[in-house]
This record gives sequence, structure tokens and C-alpha cells, in this order.
Amino acid sequence: MRQYRKFLLFILLLLALLIFLVWQYRVAAKPAVRIGVLHSLSGTMAASETPLVDAVRLAVEEANETGGVNGAQIEMIVSDCRSDAVYCAEQAEKLIVQHKVQALFGCWTSDCRKAVRPVVERHDNLLFYPVQYEGMEQSPDIIYTGAAPNQQIIPMVSWAMQQHGRRAYLIGSDYVFPRTANNIVKKLLLTRGGQPVAERYVPMGEQNFDAIVGEIAAQRPDFVVNTLNGDSNLYFFRALQEAGISADAIPVFSTSIAEPELAAIGPERVAGHYAAWSYFQSVDSIENRAFIERFRHRFGSQRVLDDPMEAAYIGVHLWVNAQRSAGTPDASSVKIALGKQTLNAPEGIVAVDAETRHLWKPVRIGRARADGQFDIVWQSGRSVAPAPFPFFISHAERAVMAGGAK
Amino acid sequence: MKISTRLQLLFLLVAVLPLALFSYLNLQQDEATLRTEALDRISGLADKKLIQVKTYLAERKREVQILARDPQLMNAIRTLPQGYAAGQLNPSYVREATQLQAYFGRYVEEHALFHDVFLMTPQGEVIYSQKREADFATNLLAGPYSETLLAHAFREVLMTLEPVISGYGYYAPSQAPALFIAAPIMVDGQFKGVFAAQLGNDLFYQVATDATGLGMSGEAIFAQWDGDDVLYTTQLKYRSEAPMKLRMNPQQSRSLPMLGALSGESGSGVKPDYRGKPVVGAWRYLPELSWGMVVKIDADEVFASIARQRVLMIEVVLGLMLFSGMLAYYFGRQISVPLEDMARTADEVAKGSMGKRVDESTPGELGRFALAFNRMAENLQGLYSTLEQRIEARTRDLNVTIAQLHEEIIERGQIENALRDNRDRLNEAQQLGRLGSWELNLLSGKLHWSDEIYRMFELDPAHFVASYENFLRVIHPDDREKVNQAYAQSLVDRQTYDVEHRLLMADGRIKWVRERCSSEFDESGKPLRSVGAVQDVTEHKLAEDRQRIAAVAFETHEGIVIADANANIIRVNHAFQEITGYDSEEVVGKNPRLLSSGAHDKAFYAAMWQQLLNEGSWSGEILDKRKSGEIYPKWMTISTVKDSEGKVSEYVAIFSDISARKKAEEEIRNLAFYDTLTKLPNRRLLLDRMSLALNSSMRNQHYGAVMFLDMDRFKTLNDTMGHDYGDLLLIEVAQRIHSCVREVDTVARMGGDEFVILVEDIDSIAEEASQRAALIAEKIRASLTTAYQLKDRSYHSSPSIGVCLYRGNEESVDALLKHADMAMYQAKESGRNTVRFFDPQMQYAVETRAALEADLRYAVFNGQLRLHYQIQVDDEHRALGAEVLVRWVHPTRGMVSPAQFIPVAEESSLILEVGHWVLETACRQLAAWSKSELTRHLSIAVNVSAQQFKLVDFVDRVMAVLRTFDVEASHLKLELTEGVVLNDVTDVVAKMYALKALGVRLSMDDFGTGYSSLAYLKQLPLDQLKIDQSFVRDITTDPNDAVMVQTIIGMAHNFRLDVIAEGVETEGQLAFLRQHGCRAFQGYLFSKPVPIEEFEQLLGRGDS
Repeated sequence: MRQYRKFLLFILLLLALLIFLVWQYRVAAKPAVRIGVLHSLSGTMAASETPLVDAVRLAVEEANETGGVNGAQIEMIVSDCRSDAVYCAEQAEKLIVQHKVQALFGCWTSDCRKAVRPVVERHDNLLFYPVQYEGMEQSPDIIYTGAAPNQQIIPMVSWAMQQHGRRAYLIGSDYVFPRTANNIVKKLLLTRGGQPVAERYVPMGEQNFDAIVGEIAAQRPDFVVNTLNGDSNLYFFRALQEAGISADAIPVFSTSIAEPELAAIGPERVAGHYAAWSYFQSVDSIENRAFIERFRHRFGSQRVLDDPMEAAYIGVHLWVNAQRSAGTPDASSVKIALGKQTLNAPEGIVAVDAETRHLWKPVRIGRARADGQFDIVWQSGRSVAPAPFPFFISHAERAVMAGGAK
Repeated sequence: MKISTRLQLLFLLVAVLPLALFSYLNLQQDEATLRTEALDRISGLADKKLIQVKTYLAERKREVQILARDPQLMNAIRTLPQGYAAGQLNPSYVREATQLQAYFGRYVEEHALFHDVFLMTPQGEVIYSQKREADFATNLLAGPYSETLLAHAFREVLMTLEPVISGYGYYAPSQAPALFIAAPIMVDGQFKGVFAAQLGNDLFYQVATDATGLGMSGEAIFAQWDGDDVLYTTQLKYRSEAPMKLRMNPQQSRSLPMLGALSGESGSGVKPDYRGKPVVGAWRYLPELSWGMVVKIDADEVFASIARQRVLMIEVVLGLMLFSGMLAYYFGRQISVPLEDMARTADEVAKGSMGKRVDESTPGELGRFALAFNRMAENLQGLYSTLEQRIEARTRDLNVTIAQLHEEIIERGQIENALRDNRDRLNEAQQLGRLGSWELNLLSGKLHWSDEIYRMFELDPAHFVASYENFLRVIHPDDREKVNQAYAQSLVDRQTYDVEHRLLMADGRIKWVRERCSSEFDESGKPLRSVGAVQDVTEHKLAEDRQRIAAVAFETHEGIVIADANANIIRVNHAFQEITGYDSEEVVGKNPRLLSSGAHDKAFYAAMWQQLLNEGSWSGEILDKRKSGEIYPKWMTISTVKDSEGKVSEYVAIFSDISARKKAEEEIRNLAFYDTLTKLPNRRLLLDRMSLALNSSMRNQHYGAVMFLDMDRFKTLNDTMGHDYGDLLLIEVAQRIHSCVREVDTVARMGGDEFVILVEDIDSIAEEASQRAALIAEKIRASLTTAYQLKDRSYHSSPSIGVCLYRGNEESVDALLKHADMAMYQAKESGRNTVRFFDPQMQYAVETRAALEADLRYAVFNGQLRLHYQIQVDDEHRALGAEVLVRWVHPTRGMVSPAQFIPVAEESSLILEVGHWVLETACRQLAAWSKSELTRHLSIAVNVSAQQFKLVDFVDRVMAVLRTFDVEASHLKLELTEGVVLNDVTDVVAKMYALKALGVRLSMDDFGTGYSSLAYLKQLPLDQLKIDQSFVRDITTDPNDAVMVQTIIGMAHNFRLDVIAEGVETEGQLAFLRQHGCRAFQGYLFSKPVPIEEFEQLLGRGDS
């Protein structure tokens, strides 16, 4: 009998050893998968861009909780763009070559994106660009999670024309996005029988808007189209308020003002003016409420959310889902898988348009409130197909509008 | 366990089970692989299908986009609107329309790509339609179909200027489901209109529902949201409803794959479908139409092969088990059957059938075993038969021997009977004579004892072996040697020996025996045999001993008298003669009463004789007379001696002279309880006496006194003249004190120069007793102050005496002494050489105060307090208000004057409770008064005690009370005496200001009677000064008081304070006060303090 027992014990030990080895093998820490985050943490764009890092972080943590990417945890490496496009491109190069990131999430200004794009394409890497922009661009290596012009600028101006009149005053910061956007707006106005009253540009970071506001007061347009970016917006709206121009009289339609900017400028200065985004924090859906809850639980109950943050967040999830669906980190497989992705996002159901590499997104127009949130005054009801190259602008015109850069 | 069972188990464990396990695991693996493959395949199919649909839609959209740029269309949109505006029958319109009709015919009628096409103006007017259904010529922004899919698509085109695919749904004008693609028409860069195409169902439908690659049970289904429900847009394979007709509530089937698809998920898995059957499915979202798509195959179909394999595996395993079972059984039997057979044969052999054999024919090990078994059986048989023969022979021999033995036994029996008779006779004789006999055979060493020896030695013959050694053992250890010697000697001398010796019994008793022994010798002189006799002579010996002891005891140092039954002395011992002085001859024959001292009465002797008769002995102390006449105490014990019949034969008295002992006892007592120097009782004795005195006083309720006496400056005497003079003084003092008191009183020395005198039983009345005690104390004092003659010196001294009366034992001894001591101390303080009493009044006062305090506490909380109101009037005798004074009505004490209970309250903190009660009651009354016109204006003045005012939250309390009863603060006046506000100026001032802030008025009571400076008073925020009644009383008679009052009034006016005079009793006083400017009055002239009912009556009557 004793011999039986010894034998049994031996078998058990062997089994235990086997189990241990198998477990070790499975649990053996797989090397982490790296992504790079390129946003300006300093400089004029810092106020707008810094929150996006948090949005990306939340998405990364959520993905890691559900098993990461093909068994490996996601590690994010954050680089400060310093509101300098050239510097940003250098950082992008460093992230791809040195840190071997599999994808980049970042950029805000179109200058920045246009500088980073060649780097990404050269290394066959991947960039997720989360900000609304002027369109006229398409790259197999960039997924544009922000709105294309037909999902923001065009419906915004169309609606403004329907509601307020034909005469529009255009003001913007002096770089590619406002210039290209205004080209589209002018074309749109002309197409619809509208009239661009004036088209003005100020350098990035401009603080003195007395002349501009004076002109607006004199010209009395039906509405203003505002493509200013960065803290210029603060000074512009302050000047408007000081000049006594009310939102009812001359409403301003802005492309780069969201909830954080409201807070920074002072909501009472912007109340009554408009903005167009796919996502507002005030979107009333279960998904959005849960998203806001998760974000605030992680980063603080006083935080506000805006469209670029939401776009950055969904960018990460789209990438993670594509990785999981492809089952391999091979860049091409991931890019193909990305083309098929759909996601139940806080803004609504979004889908990647495989051909244009942009997203089907809902369109919303919001009116700023004194409490720092937006009332949604018009929405498309369902997600709209992206058209980075507007239908009503011919090829020849496009080349001109995009300033030669495609 | 049987062999076949074991084999079966073995087969199972080794072969079948591992096989089954392995197959099962394999199967699981296959299933998992199959599952993954199936999911991959279905995902691939889903992706393909999605692309199919998307491609179809994209192609249609492209076609629309191209058509929107067609010159024909652009032309038409330029000219058609005007024609349309003019009317549909307008010739230019008709012309244009016909052209378009022909143009679009290719797409609509011929190839049936579109069901219908439309042209709209930017304002929403449908100016052209191929089919001219009900939607033609309506306005999409404002008309009847402004909420259709076409209208929504149109509006979206307006907003985005992009080609748009609408949703899918039922389209009323066509009475069928439809899908629209619309695009803007740009002419020269201007937005001129919208071109829309309505998609033909059938083609689209075919594409969507093509089920290639989906097996027998598979299908691709599409659905969209319709409100809160899921609406299936295609026909389901397993449901009969037409497309766009089947709705499902998502609440009912939450895990539908379609739900996942519709919420934007793309995934795959094995899930239950709308039938509830598990399917392998993949789901996707189609943003173009906001559709969810599910592509699925029944799980049964997919995993059919696995299911089959599993069944096969089970069959195989079962088959194997059966097969192995049978095999095991067969092989088992091969072994077990022969073994069984052998076992059976062995049993039979064991039972006795020696001839049985087993079958040796089985092959292998079993055959060999059988062979060996048979050989063994053979041997066994042989042995058995040999044994049987031997047994028979033996049995025959035995029978002969038995018969012989039988005869001998009978003979024996007869001899034994004769022997027994002889022995019995011998035993009887020995018992009678207490004589035992023994015989020792010296050759064999065997010793035989008769029964009597055993009885005498108290040994049990059953347990005791008779031997010389054992015999010696019974002998008393001290005599063993003697006996042994005697015997040995007798053997040598060839003489009989005759010794007496003791036996030591097991329980320790001693027996005396006499032993005689003679021995027989052979010719050579060797002892052969000894015979002996042992006689029990214990009784004899005891009697001898007793006599001897008596003789010795007789001559002890204690006196012994032996008298006969008539109490005549028979014998006396030597000690008697020594102690009493009488010779033996002088007393023999006489009665012992010649020794009596005459100190005891008849009763004593009678009791002694009585006890002697009853109990047979008496002991006690007795005083007798020696021959010389000296009386001495002795301790005597008398015993009666009874004869064998119980009658008294003699009296024996033993006594000793205890005079020496008595003296020693006296000595000790003295030392313990008496002071050696003065021979007075010491502290211990005093305490004892005092407690007795208290108890005695308790019984007869007479007062007694304790006096504490201390010699003044005794220490000085000791220091100057030395201790021996001091001692002499103390002795003299003791004597003198003694002479002043009675015998029954106790004078004690407490130590040093302190004496305590306990005078008991003085009188039953306190005053008398204290008088008498005083007299005694005075007498002592006087006695002790006369001169002392100490040796050769003369000395003067004096005492300090403290006296404390007592009655009963309410006070303890210690308390009494302490009080007397305190009184003595008082005497010393008062200058020495005097007497002081511990004041019983003090005691009394304390007790009454405690009782009063307790009663007062109860009174406060049980409504025994009352407020009396003394009216305050102005110079026209109108009522201004009242001062409230607290009164206490006790159920048994009656009306307790404030002079009594206020001080008691102030000593405890009850004053706070009382004060608060007064405040509350006053405010309650104010609240009641505020309701009536007559009384609304009245104010109440409340006295505030110093303790109340000192409270940290006094102001808060006042505020709280005001608020509780909702009283106008200015009607409340707080009267503070100078004493109240004397200390802690800052605190006082702050509180007063706080009270003023509330609106309360403040009045200084008893003004002028305190010691505070005017400067200090100036700081206080007062409203009113109250002139004390002591001043008012004498204003008409004493000019000083008059001036004082004048001054006070003047000062009050200067400081702008109100002034009120209290204690106004006469008209004269009133007139004087009025004359000098006083406008408010209080006093008996108007009313004494009365209860509220009377007060209100007073008000009603007008006033004084």
C-alpha cells in the first residue's frame, strides 16, 4: 500500500510541475505594444491639445483592461509638439524609429498634420488625426477621425445661410486650415447665392481685434464665419463683447471653439454664438453619458469633454479593434482591418470609410450657453458619409484651394 | 474481490479509460478548431456580403453622381422650372419632360436599374418624375411628402451639397419599400437643383439576400431601427412575414446578434438567433443605410460532423468496455474455477474425509499446486491412522490404573474421619484454658500449631504458614531476642524454659503470654523435637501494670486526695502535705471540708457536688486554706471512681496551687490596660470604656461628657527640670483628677501630658448635662492650678480642657474624642487655663442646613416655589410694574423665609436653578400681560444672583427665555447688587452691554450699601439705581440719610439714570422723595409682595 502512495505522490508532483510550466508560458509578459502620442503640451495650442492626451490615455487603459492587443499591454509614449509643426514632425520620426511605436495619435493644426504626414508615409506607419479640418486630403496611412468639411464647415454655413441670411464675414488665423476652409466657404456661399462680405486673416496668437471688430460692426454681416485657432479666440470674443455686438444681432459660427474653449474664454462672452461639431458633451445618449462618467471618474469630476477629445478616444478604440480583428501587428493587415471597423461611439455609431480613410460621423450644430455647454439646435439624425473632397468643387478648383498641397 | 472483477477493473483502468479520455480530449480540440474555423469562415462571408451590398450601393451612387453632371440634365434644370411654373401642360415643359422621359427610360424601364427618377428645385419642388407617382409635383420641404425618405435625402443634399443615400423604408407614393440616392446639380458653379433616383427593389434585394456559401440552414438578414423596435428589412428564412413587416422588441431577446450589429458592433460568435436556436454567426453594421447585418449558419449544421464523431466515440468506448469485460470474465474464470475446486476439497479434508483428492490435470501453476496438495493430503492420511492406533493402547492402560486408585481413596477416607474427631476434642480443651500448644520437628523444621495458638496470635491459618520465623515475627520486637535466647538456652541446657513475653498484634495491641517448652533429644544429645504450651496472661499483666502506675502517679507534684464513697479521706500524697501543710495522719479519716477557706458560698459547693454526681467529674478554681491559715487559690479536678457495679467507690481529687499564676495574670492585665507611671487606664482601656459608655447611654438616653485635658507648657517643665520631675507632676495630676470625679468615671492617660476624662450618665437634658459637665470641668481645672510640691521644688501649672457632650452612640468614639480635642484646642487658643465646649449648636446647624438644602432642591423641581409681586409705582401712583420675589411654600415646614433658604441655595448651586425659574416665570407672566391693554405696559424686575451673573452663557440664557416666551425685552428689568458686579470688570461690562443690546433694562439694587467706587459704577451701562431701603427708612429722621438719598437722586439725574426708592412706608418718606426728584417708588406704603392674583386685583383697583 505504501508503494501505491509514493507512486501517486510522484504523479501529482509531475502534474503540478507541468501546470506550473504551462502557466508560466502563458503569463510570460509579452513585450508591450507601443503607441506614440503627439500633442502640444506647451505653446499657444497647449490649452486645446493637452486634454486630448487624457482622452487617449483613458482609451488605452480601457483597452488594457480588456486584454490589451493580442495578449500584450499597450504602452503610450507622449511627446510634446510645442505648438511647432516642424518640431512635431521630428518627434514623430523619433517615436517611430527609436521607440518603435506601431501607431501615432496626434496633431491638431493642419500645419502639424501636413508636416507629420510625410514621416508617417515614409515609414509605412499609421497616424490617427482627431481634429476637424479643411479636407482636400487623403492618405492610406492616416485615419481622419475628425469631421471632413461636408460634416462640419459646409452644413454649418448652409444652416447659417438658411437661418440668418446671405451676407457672411470671414475671419481666421493665417495658416492652411483657415485659408482652405474659407475657400470652401466662399465657394459654397457663391454656389448658394450667398455673399462673402470680407475675408480677413490674423497671425497665430494675435491679441488685438479692435480693427476686425470695428469692421464687423460697420459692415453688419448676417453672420460671421470664424476659423481662428488657439487663444486668439479669447481676444476676439472679448473684443466683440466690449464692442457691444450681441449674438442675436451678428451670430458668430466658429469651427474651433468647443467646451474647453468656452471655459477658457468665459462662457458668458460666447453664449448665443454657434459651433458645429459631430460631438458635444451635451449629446444625450447612454453611450455618451457612460463615457463622460468614465472620463470624470478617471480625471476629475470638473472636466469637460469636446469633439477632438472624443475623436482621439475613438481613434484608439478603432485601432485596438482593428488589431484584435487582424490578430497580427502586421501594418498592412491592420490597415485593411481598419477599413472595416464600426464603433458605437459617444457621438453615435461611426464607421470607417475604407476608401477615403475618414469616418461616417453625425453632424451637429450647437449654440453656446452661459453654463459652458451647448444646446444642439440641428443634427443630421444619422451618420453622414465623409467627403474630404467636396462634390461641388471641381478637381481644378481643388488644386487651387488646397494651395498646391494634396 | 474476485479475480475476474479485479481483472475487469484492471482492463478498465489501463485500457479503456485512457482511451476514452484521449478520444474525448481529441474531440474537444477538434471542436475548438472547427469552431474557430467556422467563425473565421462566417466572418469572411459576412465581410464579403457587406462589401457586396456596399459595392452595389456605391455603384448606384456613382451612377447618380454621373447622371447629375449629365449635360442633358443640366440643360433640363435650367429650363424646366419655368415651364413647370407655368403649368404641367405648358408646351415647353411637356417638350422637355418628354425628352427626359426617353432619356431616363433606359435606366428605368429598360434595365430596371431605378424604379423612378426625380428632379427637384433648390426650393424643394418635384418638377420631374419618370413614373409620375403621387410624389410628382409636390413640394418636399412643405408638401404632403415632406417627411419621406426622399424629402430627408433632399434636405441632406441641401445642407452638405453632397450625393446622399437615404434610408430604406416604406414609401407611400410607390406603396412599396424604397431607397433613394440624391445628388446636387451644379451649373456653372451654382447649385441649381437636386437629382434623385429611387432604387428598384428586386435587384437590390437579390444582392442582399444571396445566400451563397451559407449551407443548408444559413441566411443573411438585415434589419434597421424602427422607433424602439428592430424591423427586419429582408425576408427571414424561418419566418413567414414579408420584408419590412417583422418587428421585434429588443427587450425580449437581448442577446440577438442583430442587436449587436445595430449598435455598431462587428463581431462573430455562437449565439441564439431569433428562433432561439444556436447559430454560428457574424454581424456587421452598414452605415450607408444604418442597417445591421447578420450572416449565420445553424450551429447544428456546422458542428454536425463533430456531433457524429462524438456519438461514434461513445459507441466505441462502450463497445470496448463490454469486450474487455467479457475477456476479463473469461480469463478470470480460468483461474478461479480450479482454485474454488481446490478450496472445497481442502475443506472436506479438514472435515475428515482424508481420501479426497483434487484434479491434477489443470495446466500451468495451478496443476503444480494441485499435485503438491494431493501429496500433502496423502501424508496427512498416513499420520492420522498411526496416531489412532497409539491412542487406543494408552486408553487401555489408563483404565487399569484408575480402578486401583479408587480402592485406596476409600481407605483414606476412613482414617481421616478418626483423626478429625481427635483434633476437635483437643481444640475445645485448649480454648477453655486459653492454652495453645505447638510442636516443632527440629529435623524437618516443620512446626505445628494448635488452633488455639492461631486464635491467640490472631492469625488466619489459611494465610499463615507456621514456622519458627513467623512465630518470632508475631512476638513483640523488643522481646524477640529474649525468647530466642531462652529457647536456644533450653536446648543447650536440655531444660524446660518458661518465659513471659509480649505479642504485637497487627492492630498494635499488646498481649502477654507465658510460654513453656520442653525438648526431646536423641542419644547424642541432638534435639529432635520441641513441644510447647502458650498461655494468654494479658489480663493478669494489665492488672499488675495498673497497680504499678497508680502507685507512681500518686507521687506527683500535684496534690492528690483519695476519699471513700462517704467523702472521708483514705489517702493523701506527698504533694498534698506540702501544699496544705497538713500531714497524712492529720487528715486521713477526715472530711476534706477542713480545707475550705470560707470564701465560697454554699451554692458553689452544691453545684460542685451536683456536677460530680451527674457527670462524674468537676474541675475549677477554688480558694482553700492552708494549715497556716493562708488562703490560696487552687485549680482542682475531682473524679469519681466507680466499681464494677457502677456504684461510686472512691473520689479522687487532684489540685495545684495557682497563686503564682494568678499574680502573673494580674501583672499582665495591668501592663496591658494601665499606664505604668500613673496607674491610670491607658488609651486602649479608655476606648473600650467609652464604647461601653456610649452603648449604655444609648440605652438610658442620658448625656455624658468626654473631656480632653492637656497640661499647659508641660514640655517646658520637662526641658527645664528634667523628666523625673515631669513624671512626678503627672502622677500628682492623675491623683488630683481622680479626686474630682466619681469612681464610675474613667480618667485615662492618653500619653505625654494628655488626659481624657469620661464622665458618664450626667443628665437626660442637654442643658443640664452641659451645666453639670461645666462644673466638673471647672472643678478639675481649679484643682490642677494649685501648687505642686515635686520633691524639693514647688511648681505651678494649669490645664486646657475641651468638653464634648454625647448621648447614645450616634457619634463614634473617635468623633467624640476628636471633638473634645478640637474643643481643647479652642481652649488653648483662648489663652489656656480654661474650659471650652464643643458647640453642639454647630452640629445642629449643619444638620438642619443639609435637610433644608435637600428640601429646596425638591422644591425647585416640584412647583413649591412661588413668585410674589411687589408693585412699583410712579409719582402719580400709576403702576409701572413689579419686583418679583421668590417664596417657598413647603408642605410641612410651611412658608420658609427667603432669609433661610436663599443662603442655603447660594452655598449649593441651587441658586442657579431658582434664579432661572424666577426668570422664566417672570417672562411667562410678561407674555400673558402683553395680551391685555391694561397690563401691556408693565415691567417686571428680577433679582439676579452673583452666581447666575457669573455664568458664561448668562446672556444667552436670558435671550433664550425672552425668545421662548416672545417677550418684549424692554419690559424685563434685571436687578443686580453691587456684590454681583464687583469682580472681573471686563466680563461684567461685556455682559451688561450684551444684555442692553437685547433691550433688557438693568438696575443697581441696594445702591449705596456696597464699597465700589463711583468711577467703577460709571463704567456700567445701567438704566436705573435703586435706593436701598436702609436709607429710605430714616430720611425723615436722620439728616445724614436724607442727604445721602438726595445725593443719590442727584447723581442719578446727572448720569441720566432712572431712580427708584424701595422701602417707602410712610407718606412723609414719599413726600420727601418726591420733593427731591424721585419719580418711582416701591414699598409697603403701596403694597407688600403679594401673589399674582392679588397683584392683578391691585392693578384693577387702580393702585394704592
